[in-house]
Amino acid sequence: MLPAMTTTSALDLDTLRRVSRLAGFDWSDAELERLRPAVEASRRMLDALASAPIADVEPTTLYRVI
Amino acid sequence: MADLAWLTVTELARMIATKAVSPVEVVRAHLARIEARNRDLRAYLTVCGDAALEAARAAEAALAAGAPVGPLHGVPIALKDLFNTAGVRTTGGSKILADSVPKDDATVVRRLREAGAIVLGKLNMVEFAFGPEGFNAHNGMARNPWDASVERMPGGSSSGSGVAVAAGLAPAALGSDTGGSIRIPASLCGITGLKPTYGRVSRAGVLPLSWSMDHAGPMARSAADCAVLLGAMAGYDAADPTTSVLPVPPYTAALTGDVKGLRIGLLRGFFLESAAPEVRAAVEQAAKTLTQAGAVVDEVSLEHVGLVSAASLAIVASEALAYHAQWLRTRPADYDPDIAERLKLGAFVTGVDYVRGQQVRALVRADVDGALARRDVLLAPTTPIVAARRDEREVTLGTGASDIRSALIRLTRPFNLSGHPACALPCGFTTAGLPISMQIVGRPFDEATVLRAADAYQRLTDWHTRRPVLA
Repeated sequence: MLPAMTTTSALDLDTLRRVSRLAGFDWSDAELERLRPAVEASRRMLDALASAPIADVEPTTLYRVI
Repeated sequence: MADLAWLTVTELARMIATKAVSPVEVVRAHLARIEARNRDLRAYLTVCGDAALEAARAAEAALAAGAPVGPLHGVPIALKDLFNTAGVRTTGGSKILADSVPKDDATVVRRLREAGAIVLGKLNMVEFAFGPEGFNAHNGMARNPWDASVERMPGGSSSGSGVAVAAGLAPAALGSDTGGSIRIPASLCGITGLKPTYGRVSRAGVLPLSWSMDHAGPMARSAADCAVLLGAMAGYDAADPTTSVLPVPPYTAALTGDVKGLRIGLLRGFFLESAAPEVRAAVEQAAKTLTQAGAVVDEVSLEHVGLVSAASLAIVASEALAYHAQWLRTRPADYDPDIAERLKLGAFVTGVDYVRGQQVRALVRADVDGALARRDVLLAPTTPIVAARRDEREVTLGTGASDIRSALIRLTRPFNLSGHPACALPCGFTTAGLPISMQIVGRPFDEATVLRAADAYQRLTDWHTRRPVLA
């Protein structure tokens, strides 16, 4: 089980390593440390989506308007 | 005769068709200017001089033979270096594709050639179109021509397109726009750029950044020129399943110069209040100008626009990483580290984030549709700031401090998410002499009204006719 990727606490290196490996990347600890501030900032931004009023909104998966 | 390098597409097409000027002269004039200026401006990555001259001679011969000619017959254009060109390298501004030579033209390139356009060359851009400032670690930053004293950002990612058109190295260019990449360089370089409706213009043969957010469109010195180019580019393409089957209207016929009764919603809140004082004043003055010409302007805001940055991040980061994953594994050192870092962030976006982003997309699209239900177009600043110095990293907006990157895409990205057409055009200059831009946003597939409003404004003002003084 992976720790929750929320921003209530800082993401530790182990979480970054496991998530990136799950995505198929074998980035070094140094690379992940460099990424950490940007990942944390991204996660803070993405967390805003959880509280968006979208419960009854169907996602846009078909882009052809007409 | 007027300096050929500064004539518009419309003027060149007319003069060539009436044999007032030879396409060979026109192409030679542009190649001479590229030769003289490109070392400093870094707008072109590849110049197709011989092929352009050969095409110009063929265009001249066709005219002499009385053959039917297209609306762009003999008119030179240039292409952002992510549009595939048969036999000419298409690098995406990258080291990874430095030697990539496509077999076929992108659909839009083929259509422009069929309309008579002549390709001068391929233009500088942000690596793989991933950034709004205009930086490129491999080729150098195309230089904004509006300040000879200091290097300023040209805007990106279609940086070379903005610079080439603004500096007289091409009368028009193609760009692509995922978060503002046509409109941002149009804004910072003082030209006109149109992001069409998603599905209006084929993306087949265009290197992707984010499939569901990418748009291809024209950049030129006037809305009238964008109308000519769009007419040649637009329409259904079996090679791009997202293109619409709706017929392409005659865009130039819509350019009546008349905005009497046109209902314009001035986007306040998120849009106008974040803009720098000179930008805000210029856009408000533009609204007054249009009002005096008979338009009816009111104010409007978009309820969910504050969620755009998060939704865009979820979508663009995921789609971009999906495209780049293999190269990131096998050739990581060939990316600019800054670009690689942004691509890597996609690994930390979950599937749930992506779907939520698409849900927010539906909300934002409904917001924009709602604002346009009783209005013909919306009006907003294109960028809240003008061209920053190359070394600037932070700026103060009306809403607080922001990094330059976020500031540049703040006002353009909502319409990539929603898919609505948006045209950026100059609406003033700062006291320091830098261009200010506004964007006109329309209903889906109603580029005709967007272009009519933009063209009418350009008939009332001369901002779009000003030229930079080059060093």
